Amino acid sequence: MAQIRLKNVSKRWNNFVGVDNFNLDIADQEFLVLLGPSGCGKTTTMRMIAGLEEITEGEIWIGDRLVNKLEPKDRDISMVFQSYGLYPNMTVYENIRFPLKVRKVPQEQHHERVMAASKMVELDDFLQRRPAALSGGQRQRVALARAIVREPNAFLMDEPLSNLDAKLRVSTRAQIKNLHHTLKRTTIYVTHDQIEAMTLADRVVVMSKGLVQQVGTPMEIYDRPANTFVASFIGSPAMNLIKGSIEGGVFTSEGIRIEGLTLAAKGPVTLGFRAEDASLAQASGQIEAPIYTVELLGDATMLSMRVAGELVSIKVNKDYRAEIGELARVAIPASACHLFDHSTGARIA
Amino acid sequence: MPNKTFFAFILPSLIAMVLFIALPIVSVVVQSLYVAHERVMVQVENCQPFGGCSTELRVDAAATAELQREQPLGRFNGLGTYFNRAHLATDELGAILSSDRSFDQKVAQIFNLPFYKALIFTLVYCFVVTPLAMALGFAIALAVNALPKVTKGPIIFFSLLPMIITPLIGSLILYWMLSPNGILGATIQHIFNDPTLSLRASPVLTWTALLVYGVWTNGPFSFVVFYAGLQTVPADTLESAMIDGASRWERIRYVIIPHLAPLATFVALVQLMDNFRVFEPIVGFSAEANATSLSYLIYNDLSGDAQQFGSAGATSVITIIGVVILLMPVLIRTWREFKLKAV
Amino acid sequence: MSDAVAQKRPLALNAIIYGFIVLWVILAAVPFFWTVWGSFKVEADFFSRESWWNAIFGTSTTRQTGNAFTGAGYYGAWVLRDFWRAAGNTIIVTVCVTVISLTLGTLGGYALARSGRNYAFWILIAALVFRAMPHITLVSGYLLPFFQLNIWGVLPTSIIVLVAINQPFTLWMLHSFFLSIPKDLDESAMVDGCTRFQAFRLVIMPVMWPGVVTTGLFSFLLGYNDFAVTAMLLSAENQTMVPKISSFLGSIQETGNVMYAVAAVVSATVPLFILVLFFQRQIVSGLTAGAVKG
Repeated sequence: MAQIRLKNVSKRWNNFVGVDNFNLDIADQEFLVLLGPSGCGKTTTMRMIAGLEEITEGEIWIGDRLVNKLEPKDRDISMVFQSYGLYPNMTVYENIRFPLKVRKVPQEQHHERVMAASKMVELDDFLQRRPAALSGGQRQRVALARAIVREPNAFLMDEPLSNLDAKLRVSTRAQIKNLHHTLKRTTIYVTHDQIEAMTLADRVVVMSKGLVQQVGTPMEIYDRPANTFVASFIGSPAMNLIKGSIEGGVFTSEGIRIEGLTLAAKGPVTLGFRAEDASLAQASGQIEAPIYTVELLGDATMLSMRVAGELVSIKVNKDYRAEIGELARVAIPASACHLFDHSTGARIA
Repeated sequence: MPNKTFFAFILPSLIAMVLFIALPIVSVVVQSLYVAHERVMVQVENCQPFGGCSTELRVDAAATAELQREQPLGRFNGLGTYFNRAHLATDELGAILSSDRSFDQKVAQIFNLPFYKALIFTLVYCFVVTPLAMALGFAIALAVNALPKVTKGPIIFFSLLPMIITPLIGSLILYWMLSPNGILGATIQHIFNDPTLSLRASPVLTWTALLVYGVWTNGPFSFVVFYAGLQTVPADTLESAMIDGASRWERIRYVIIPHLAPLATFVALVQLMDNFRVFEPIVGFSAEANATSLSYLIYNDLSGDAQQFGSAGATSVITIIGVVILLMPVLIRTWREFKLKAV
Repeated sequence: MSDAVAQKRPLALNAIIYGFIVLWVILAAVPFFWTVWGSFKVEADFFSRESWWNAIFGTSTTRQTGNAFTGAGYYGAWVLRDFWRAAGNTIIVTVCVTVISLTLGTLGGYALARSGRNYAFWILIAALVFRAMPHITLVSGYLLPFFQLNIWGVLPTSIIVLVAINQPFTLWMLHSFFLSIPKDLDESAMVDGCTRFQAFRLVIMPVMWPGVVTTGLFSFLLGYNDFAVTAMLLSAENQTMVPKISSFLGSIQETGNVMYAVAAVVSATVPLFILVLFFQRQIVSGLTAGAVKG
């Protein structure tokens, strides 16, 4: 059983704040993803949980133990590193066996457990090779096998897919999801890739500049971003954000006018909508502007146009064709719009 | 890494450095403030059967030894040693500079003061050998880089020899070749048609020999570093320079030299530090009559029967100050970078 | 690239390049071969008044010994003058200095490479300043305390002093080698169940061997080539080769046996030759990658 609890955790180097007042309860067997751009403090948070980084302030609990002062080896976790951290002088077999050896697991169990772990990640054919003789994907799987061989309380994964090519990334992603289902261990996964976060997570923590921006299920985060940062970070393409003002439920800005919004908001705001929520209008639309580019994606066509100084993306039918410079009319339903405070970026409605 | 672990790892090394580098520096400073005891004299009355009695002063060996044992440092002398004739010689220097002799005579007189003689040679050695050795190393690196691959290995092997050789042995080898009966010495006598020309007799020849030795033994280091640097010159830049119409020389001037500049700073720093402690060649060339260095002065004070710890200490302190001055640009730069990083 | 360029090089430039290299190789290597060759002659040939061709053909050597080569210098140095004892001392000193330097240096260098703290930076800067200290200035600080403690003149004292003098350099070099080993490696080891020291011993050291060998070579050279420390801190019977050769010079030149010194010099040079022969690559990589010179 391993719930992980972070209480007011902070990390500072001199005056630089890496992680600021992080609070979170991670349930047993949960798959939690820490998501954010580089330098946002997500890796630091994970390294504090692992014990590789000292905690400046706050408490970290794994299960019912306060682990602040414990060495990494005493925290009963295992970790997959971004560049895998394989031991170059050992064979794959020895690499996977290493945690058992240093933890003094009885000798007679070693072989069986190494074989079980390597089977799970389909490494059986490479056991006698050294890491240097493996491809990126194979090394990745050795790192996974080494993490699971010990059956720890929790797995930590630090951008494990970022060194793989796009195709391998998709299949390994699926493998990790499946492993989590089979092993049922608490997993904390760090990534900057929102697709990985959406596909893998039970819950996502979005971070920026050391601060937690939002915690929620992937759908919550996609459908109700807590602020403009989350809105622009999640989704591909990112949510369109337009600065303007609202008065009596009517949002206006240069080249755009949307009616029927909330009556509660008033004054300058930022309006957001997703590309797929907009559509082409027959008569008159909320946006009327000349087309800037047309991108054919295969399953859809992406139009973009300049509105209030921002490039706005609209996802339309895959058969749609238009010339650059043609006038397009775009309909945006008021129900699909998000409103954010113009200065703090926090969600209004 | 937690503080405790860090210090557990580094402690043995730190203890060694504190005990045998930091403390000796302190010890040197303390020593430099003391001079040897004066010998204890006793009045001895000497009576002869018929000649009556006479008194004379004699050294009381037992008392001197006793005093020496009680206060091994000697007696306190303050900064006296620093300013005496064997060191900074302020009085003598003042007298020479205020006298109305010609400039040449003044230089000659200053050169007679042992400390200045050593200081001048040390500085000349430092600032002549370093740039020449770097130029030689750079030239070899360029030439070797242009050779076919198979010849590079053996040439690097032979090039390493002058650097790797024990300094005392290397200078002895050259000294023997340069002695009047050696192959080079005899040839030089022949060229100048002067059968009395020898290292011992000619200060100019001694200085030249020491400087040549310095370039010979320091060149390979620059060569190796510059040669490694040449391998990392970006081929793209070189090729675009060729397309832009740069000549061979212009490619060296505008692409290669700027690329190697940071390395050159590093080499210059290391070599200045090493050349400032020039010592073994002076022993090897038996050059002390014509050229000495600060390190040699210390060695000279310490060897022999009467070890002059005070004098050696004073020279050492001045030498250490010299090293710190040499290092100053680096230290200041590092400090600035560090400050920048911290903010 | 160099091949393509080489073809276009004008003949005159090629001639200059080859001429220069040949000249340099002669300058670099001939003194050694000359001395090795000459060490098998008698003094009248090695320092010939008549013609230096005598040193090549051994005219006087043939006249005096009946053969163009003689081992008299070696016999004199090694047997009559106990050079073997100095050689033995050198082996003890260099081996101990290398082993102890590396032991302390790997531990310290590892700590410096893995600590991001300010004091690690300042220790490195202090080491840089220490490295610049002329050894003889430190020696002048040792003598008096060593006399008082009665530890002057013996090998262990010199060994420890050389280790300490060597530490700044060793720390810098090993520190930069450790920096080239990814941090992930120690961190995976620690998560896998190692203490810091186990991670260092079981995971980092096995991949550090190239760096250790290279640094070891330079530690060896420092111990082997040292004159200032060993000449001042060792009593006559404990002398290593280099101070022994220097003390030869004073006593031998009077009796006319310079050839003993020449033979001793050649004997002391041979191990260095062999070292460069086998470890050329490591020496070059150490000079460049280590960013510090011994």
